[in-house]
Amino acid sequence: MFQFPGQGKPAQGILFDSDFGATIDTVLALALLHGLEAKREARVASISINRPGLKAAQLCDVIEKFYASATTGPLAQFVVGTPVGLIANGDAPVPYANLLAATRIKSVNDTAEPATLLRNVLTAQYDKTAVVVLSGPPTNLAAILNLNGGRALVEQKVKLLSIAGDVDPSFLSKWPTPIAIARKEIGTQVLFPASSIETDFAYAPNHPIADAYRAYHAMPYDAPTCAMAAALYGARPKEGYFQLSGRYLVPDPTQSEKLLAAYTQLASAKPVPRVPRKPVVDADAKQ
Amino acid sequence: MKTLPRRTFLRGLGTAAIGLPFLDAMVPAFASTAPGKAPVRMAFVYVPNGIDTRIWSPPCEGKLTEFSRVLNPLKPFKDDITVLGNLTHNAGRALLDGAGDHGRCAAAYLTGLQPKKSMVDIKAGVSFDQIIANRIGKETRFPSLELGMEDARQAGDCDSGYSCAYTNNLAWGSETQPLPPTLDPRALFERLFGTSSATTPEARARENRNRRSILDFVAADTKKLETDLGPSDKRKLDEYLNSVREIERQLERTEKDNAQLNPGMEKPSGVPADFAEHFRLMTNMMTVAFQADQTRIITFMVTHEGSQRSYREIGIPDGHHPLTHHRNLPELMEKVAQINVYHMQQFAGWLEKLKSIKEGDATLLDNSMIVYGAGLSDGNRHTHEDLPTLIAGRGGSYFKPGRRIVYRRETPMCNLFLTMMDRMGVPTDHFGDSTGHLEGLDLA
Repeated sequence: MFQFPGQGKPAQGILFDSDFGATIDTVLALALLHGLEAKREARVASISINRPGLKAAQLCDVIEKFYASATTGPLAQFVVGTPVGLIANGDAPVPYANLLAATRIKSVNDTAEPATLLRNVLTAQYDKTAVVVLSGPPTNLAAILNLNGGRALVEQKVKLLSIAGDVDPSFLSKWPTPIAIARKEIGTQVLFPASSIETDFAYAPNHPIADAYRAYHAMPYDAPTCAMAAALYGARPKEGYFQLSGRYLVPDPTQSEKLLAAYTQLASAKPVPRVPRKPVVDADAKQ
Repeated sequence: MKTLPRRTFLRGLGTAAIGLPFLDAMVPAFASTAPGKAPVRMAFVYVPNGIDTRIWSPPCEGKLTEFSRVLNPLKPFKDDITVLGNLTHNAGRALLDGAGDHGRCAAAYLTGLQPKKSMVDIKAGVSFDQIIANRIGKETRFPSLELGMEDARQAGDCDSGYSCAYTNNLAWGSETQPLPPTLDPRALFERLFGTSSATTPEARARENRNRRSILDFVAADTKKLETDLGPSDKRKLDEYLNSVREIERQLERTEKDNAQLNPGMEKPSGVPADFAEHFRLMTNMMTVAFQADQTRIITFMVTHEGSQRSYREIGIPDGHHPLTHHRNLPELMEKVAQINVYHMQQFAGWLEKLKSIKEGDATLLDNSMIVYGAGLSDGNRHTHEDLPTLIAGRGGSYFKPGRRIVYRRETPMCNLFLTMMDRMGVPTDHFGDSTGHLEGLDLA
């Protein structure tokens, strides 16, 4: 959560709350958000997980470590990312056990309670700039509304909640900001191609996204992109990838090629180093 | 025998008045524990510029079996302390306000709120110790004591546009009114025991030459009281009055030394040149204040946040704050660690004192919650998570110390405050950015 002095107004913060690792779609969505971060269009402000299971948090951490590794030198110590929020410990498996050795998360105490994390991250966003991307049950988001001052903070900071899949309507009626929903069929309009994994991610040996993709299912297979759609719409709502019917995204066949390019290019984007506009040494060190 | 009121004073001529420690005679015969039960006291000992978790965090969870470098001086108190992990002050973070972590972390430390970035239009919030003081303060002579050892300036820019009022105070009486710490041990002594009105160095020196011990003023009252006390209470009273006398002697020594160093100087004549001596004097008086139930709430800012103090006493001529921006240079990191350890050694001395004082079947330390901590963890990176925090004592019979408890990341520091408010008899639903009470402190 470190903010470099003098950087000015940051890109929109994305709060990604998902059933991470339950499907490969959520892993690709996180990669896509990092692609947007590489283009300075968005920042992955927080990652939280709404299904119990330490391994999902560990996978998240391994991926975050990979993207942070692009920043080297004195700045690297500041780019440690926000903690991973995890709803609860649990044994829910992820099919990526061989990837988890590098994790910094050893126990549930190395993760954050998600509602607190989301609340804290929101306090660092400019008004009406934050985007929440949700895949999976809205348990964590409902919890932040129940925190003291949580609802008002969401209203103040969040401009859009972008949801992948179906969500309990009673939650939707309580959420105080505009909502967009990418139903499952949006994810089949354009599938993520296995060929992209073999070619676009080849720049990094042991790329955690590619490794996770391969571990998830026997290759080659093309993956649905529902969570990617919610993430992409959340960050680029005016790009015209989808049509809107009320709050629901509707496939636009004329955009399929553009959508496929966005998915593959953003998800496979090379991590970029964080660059401060001013020296890192804090201003008060001059005292 | 008639029960002695808890708030009994030994009074003498002038304004001299000495509160009494907790004596057996204050417990009614056959009473259930409640009426005569020693009160719970609460103190915060704040050290500046953070303590790096790499040298603070013990390499264990659960039972406190291993000690980190900084905590090593507390080994003799391993069964008296609870080391807490992952407590966070989100309000200390930039949150769109840019540089100024020192100003923010100190102002947010007990208020739980992000202060307004300003040098003149200061605004934070009522600190939780003052919420407690406002509720229970009437039960003691002083609702709270705000103490420190370094800088009580309240104006000027002390950190990147944050007023010195933010870096130099812990307690806030209102959102615009910080409560400056008393730095001068003599001033504190006179507040506690009420003797001198001399303000100039000359008048003070003159008075000092003729000064009699405050114990002389209350001698008649002491003698009268002693006739009503049993042997155990007599011994306890004697020890207590001796400790008051020892503080007087310490002060006299300091004032004599200071006069020789620079006679006529305007600075408070009771401030020892030596850091350890100053710490000992202040904490000795804090002990007496707790012991005599003069107050139940103390905030003690060892040095102010962002302190540039050098520690020549231990061979470190560099300023503390510049050292913490060590650029990962081992030589500088070593000096910071030595300062952190030095602070902790002084704190250990205070714990020893608190533990030596019996209160019924327990000790003064048992009946206290002494939080030692800082508003930053890594002073180099200015991190506000996993703040170095420990509680010494049992808060009455609540805490089960001797453990290291690691909470989930981002757990609000204010959750600890909520729990402490409960222990002080001022329960509330939320404070600052709390999300609930801190669990597990009462579990063995």
